[in-house]
Amino acid sequence: MPWESTIPNVLAGEGQPLAAGASAAAMDNEQFAGFYARSARSLWAYLARVSRDRTLADDLTQESYVRFLCANHPSDGEVAARRYLFRIATNLLRDHWRRPRSSSIDDMPEELFTARCGEGHADSLAMLGPAMAQMRPRDRQLLWLAYAEGYSHHEIAEVTGLASASIRLLLFRARRKMARLLRQKEEA
Amino acid sequence: MSPFTCAREREVTELLRQGYWPEACPEELRTHVETCRSCSDLVLVTQALQASRKQTLDIPHLESPGALWWRAQLRRRNAAIETVGRPILGAQIFALMLLIVVAAGGLVWKGTLVMAWLEDLPQALHLDALVPSALSKSGGMGWIVLPALATAALLSGVVVYLATEKQ
Repeated sequence: MPWESTIPNVLAGEGQPLAAGASAAAMDNEQFAGFYARSARSLWAYLARVSRDRTLADDLTQESYVRFLCANHPSDGEVAARRYLFRIATNLLRDHWRRPRSSSIDDMPEELFTARCGEGHADSLAMLGPAMAQMRPRDRQLLWLAYAEGYSHHEIAEVTGLASASIRLLLFRARRKMARLLRQKEEA
Repeated sequence: MSPFTCAREREVTELLRQGYWPEACPEELRTHVETCRSCSDLVLVTQALQASRKQTLDIPHLESPGALWWRAQLRRRNAAIETVGRPILGAQIFALMLLIVVAAGGLVWKGTLVMAWLEDLPQALHLDALVPSALSKSGGMGWIVLPALATAALLSGVVVYLATEKQ
């Protein structure tokens, strides 16, 4: 008899800290499929827009969900689970930026975004893309979470790990800079 | 009002979030936004990012949730096996160290006896019958015992390696 079968609880993760309160086991395959269907596109959009790299967004989206399932994620509703997922993705992005880069995150894949969009949308993306490119990654994160995802300052602090008190100021500066860049682009 | 925001920002944010801006909002608020830099920045940036989000949502070709689910299960299982296996590996290393220490201690303590036993071993096993008498007389039996022991040690290493690979 293989020794693994003598300790099924451990192998099922039941003996791990995962089981404290809510474990990933609390979300079964079907529940996960539903949660994934509702959240994956927003997560991908966040990663793609902040990293400006579609391939990286693909990889990090998958890795975020795998880590989410392996971790002891919060059980108090889908909103909290979603926030936790964004937090994992943000940490993965940060890890990616800290690693020595083989290719720059500032490589411009913006044309790939615009190429996939309809005629009417291409204009706004053509304006937003260069403006986003001139923002720092952290500012892109803050702006996306606040204005595209609609997170509150407190939630952004939870996702990014920044101090809640500093979010308002950082966001204000990022927004002002972004608005200036968008206006410049409009005028040009 | 904080130094960074306008008092009406919350109102504007809510309208933007619900999609009521600009058609379904009071004329007076629209006039305010035109004159307030903070609110006009908010409207401009929010509209651009919301449009971008809407467009970006259609782009990805996502992995199937089932594949991610099973990948996560596999990772959890491997992590659990690793967690369980760590103390076992520690115990194996400890046992090996203990064996080496005991063997070394025994060699130091009864070294002369062991050497004498090793010298007598060829005769006890009648190895002198297997080797030419010239070699046997010149005291070269050590040349047989030592390679034999080395071969045994090597073979046991190979056996342990193969057994570990099989696991």
